Amino acid sequence: MTTIRSADARSRDEVGERATVVEARGLTRDYSFGKEVVHALCGVTFEIMDGDYVAIVGPSGCGKSTLLNLLGAIDRPTRGSVAINGTDVAQMSDREATSFRLRNIGFVFQRFYLMPTLSARENVELPMAEAGKSRTDRGARAKELLAYVGLAARERHRPSELSGGEQQRVAIARALANRPAILLADEPTGELDARTGAEIIGLFGRLNRDGTTLIVVTHDEELASTAKRKIHMRDGVIVDG
Amino acid sequence: MFNLIVILALLQHAIPRTIAIDERLAADAHLAVGDRVLLSAIPESRTADTVIISAIVKRGTDPAEVARSEYRIRLHLDHLQSLAGYGDRVDRFAVATRGDAATAKALAEINSSAFGFEAHRSKDIAVGTSKTFQVVSRFHKAIGVITIVASAIFLLCIMLLKVEERRRDVAALRLIGISRKTVMRAVVIEAALLALVGSALGVGVGWAGSQFINWYYRGVYRTPLAFSIVTPSIVTLAVALSLVLGIAAGILASLRLVRTPPLVLFGR
Amino acid sequence: MPVALAWASLKRHGTRTLLAMLGVAVAAAMLLDMVMMSTGMRESFRNLLLSRGFQLRLAPKGTLPFDTDATMTNTSGIVRILRQNPDLTTISPVLGGTIHVLRGDSVITASALGLDPRIQGDYELLSGKDPLAPDEIAGNDEFMRATGARTGDTLAVASGYDPQTREYAGTRRLVLTGTIRFLYGASHQRGAAMRLATLQGMSGPDRSDASSLFMIRVRKGTDVEAAGRWIKERVFTVNVISTESALDQVDERLRYFRQLAVILGSVSLFVGFLLVTTLVTVSVNERIGEIAVMRAIGVSRAHVVQQIVLEGVAISLVGAFAGLLLGLVTGRYLNGILSSFPGLPEAIDFFLFQPKAAWTALGLLALSGIAAGVYPSFRASSLPIATTLRQEAIA
Repeated sequence: MTTIRSADARSRDEVGERATVVEARGLTRDYSFGKEVVHALCGVTFEIMDGDYVAIVGPSGCGKSTLLNLLGAIDRPTRGSVAINGTDVAQMSDREATSFRLRNIGFVFQRFYLMPTLSARENVELPMAEAGKSRTDRGARAKELLAYVGLAARERHRPSELSGGEQQRVAIARALANRPAILLADEPTGELDARTGAEIIGLFGRLNRDGTTLIVVTHDEELASTAKRKIHMRDGVIVDG
Repeated sequence: MFNLIVILALLQHAIPRTIAIDERLAADAHLAVGDRVLLSAIPESRTADTVIISAIVKRGTDPAEVARSEYRIRLHLDHLQSLAGYGDRVDRFAVATRGDAATAKALAEINSSAFGFEAHRSKDIAVGTSKTFQVVSRFHKAIGVITIVASAIFLLCIMLLKVEERRRDVAALRLIGISRKTVMRAVVIEAALLALVGSALGVGVGWAGSQFINWYYRGVYRTPLAFSIVTPSIVTLAVALSLVLGIAAGILASLRLVRTPPLVLFGR
Repeated sequence: MPVALAWASLKRHGTRTLLAMLGVAVAAAMLLDMVMMSTGMRESFRNLLLSRGFQLRLAPKGTLPFDTDATMTNTSGIVRILRQNPDLTTISPVLGGTIHVLRGDSVITASALGLDPRIQGDYELLSGKDPLAPDEIAGNDEFMRATGARTGDTLAVASGYDPQTREYAGTRRLVLTGTIRFLYGASHQRGAAMRLATLQGMSGPDRSDASSLFMIRVRKGTDVEAAGRWIKERVFTVNVISTESALDQVDERLRYFRQLAVILGSVSLFVGFLLVTTLVTVSVNERIGEIAVMRAIGVSRAHVVQQIVLEGVAISLVGAFAGLLLGLVTGRYLNGILSSFPGLPEAIDFFLFQPKAAWTALGLLALSGIAAGVYPSFRASSLPIATTLRQEAIA
């Protein structure tokens, strides 16, 4: 059986414990454009428990993607803190944040962002290679993950030879490579047609049932409705959830 | 009367002879006009003539002498003949004539009646003695050819990169109906302009380099010879060559671009 | 993985990569040629000077060996003085001159060296034997061809031609004993060698005890410069030239080529570096989004830089190896041009291949490949990830 979650997470499952995976306190992010300052996030505070499936929704420009970037440690808050499994990522150096992302966070982007020169399998292996896993281990894991997302027969294909939906599934498999604590997805169905989008929505549901903690930013009502919890945002603050 | 002649002859011998030395010898040995020096044909000789330096002469622009560090002294012919023990001998005569026809006539007459020597045109001798510099010239040309080949490859590579950078723009233009010919023309004109501006800069750098080379090597070899000359024909050749290469590179690069379907250029 | 990514990236734009490698190859060829030229002349000349083990040369004062027609009179007196120093183990006087081979109505003119064949350092015997007897002569291939003579033939040889009287100072009948190759001879130059006394005797009373050059071997372990100073203090009519000072003189005369080598070599290296830098920079700019994604999924900056630097190094190294081969070919061609300098010994090479030169050129190019990749990759991998991703999405 494909193991999506880490060993620690699985042992907590066995005793019915639910830990806090994400803890955001007073998250603020300002952007300066010359003399003008844009307040993209204004003191956002919330918690996400292990195994949650959270959809962050709101109109364009409300700060959803900014929040996701802060949770994923690919951006730094102006003020406030973000803890992932108890580790404050906001104060990390670039090197520490990179290493943390590699081992603890999986990212799925709207535009897939696969490496065009690598095959599907090599794309999935990329984070494992970076984490120092042996060629045999990462090859086996990549095969396992591609089978999980239904692309076992397409492992040698390059992204240009895959459809949008297939590319996104490869991107999801890549995000799961190092058994991350959380999976962050930024508009994962944004570039997909309705039918393909539904396949991805179904996949996310399955991932969460198998224990993955998911945080999804989306405009897609259907995707948002499959989430267990919704966080509504407007003008940089949480208005509901 | 006879006694007067004898006295004059004796006096003549007592007055030191004069020589002219080249400017390098004057500088290196700290000699000036009016100085008296001892002159001999044999090194470290105990018998030598006392002479007076009456003139300091500039070195000629003879390429054959550039690398030679010898000093040159000019003496009266009879003085050198007696000093070197030559007797009534010379190495050559230099003859000026009234024009080309006179030169040809003189050559024929001298050579038909010459005994033990031969007459040559000065320019024929110049060709013979400039073989060294013909070799240098061939070498420079070879280096020039290699440089041109390298530049052509470099130019093509850069043009390819430039057009690839803008493939999405070109794809969009093609999709809205702009023809291949128009796209190619734009790229080739850009390449030609780049080549023109580049060659103008290059001519400037080349001219400055030429000035520097002359200044530097004139100092090193202590000669008024010009080592490098930028002529209008050289400038024309350089500009024409870079234009041709630039346009060729532009054509090749744009051909690649316009032959690719626009959607492929978009990465789909 | 960085290697796989670098390789995949290079293959992605095959034409561009190949062109860049070709450009680097030409630059590398030029660089190798210039490195060979800057050291080759001196090494080649040194090898020639020391080929027979003579460390000192004496020429008429103020001249270099065979630079002029000047000679040293009183050769036997000079030899007596030199023999007083037991450290001077071999003393070989040489006289240069012109001989004329009289064949019926035709006269074949050639250069001649008068020397002691037992201790000489001017030629190597190719066939036959040395001209040890007073009535013997040996010639090089050009001499044999021009005279149509073979080993064993007797030639009427004259020297000391007076153009005024059209008479020769001396004529001898000399037996051709063998074919030789002059170590210091220019290509296509006709030449012959005979005993010193023979040429002196044929050249007229002015040259009966003259020589153009002395070649001297010193005892092993002797300080050559000290031996030179000893000679200078006792023989005033000569210019004492050690191998080192001869090389310095040659360096001085060929300074232009060394400086040209340095300038062209530097320009080649710079052009190669510029080409790789431009290619890597454009390649990185095209992949800013990919690089940001790699950083987002956890690939470290060091690994990103490593991958991109590897691309630059790969182009430089492949280009450099191809350039080494090309450089050997172009070096031979350029050497062929410069070797036709009038009067230059055939044995002198301007472009002498030394493994050290090849490694120097390769090393410099590899370093330039690394340098070319470092800055653009570091810059790209330091861009803020979120902003870059957003900009790429908009683009």
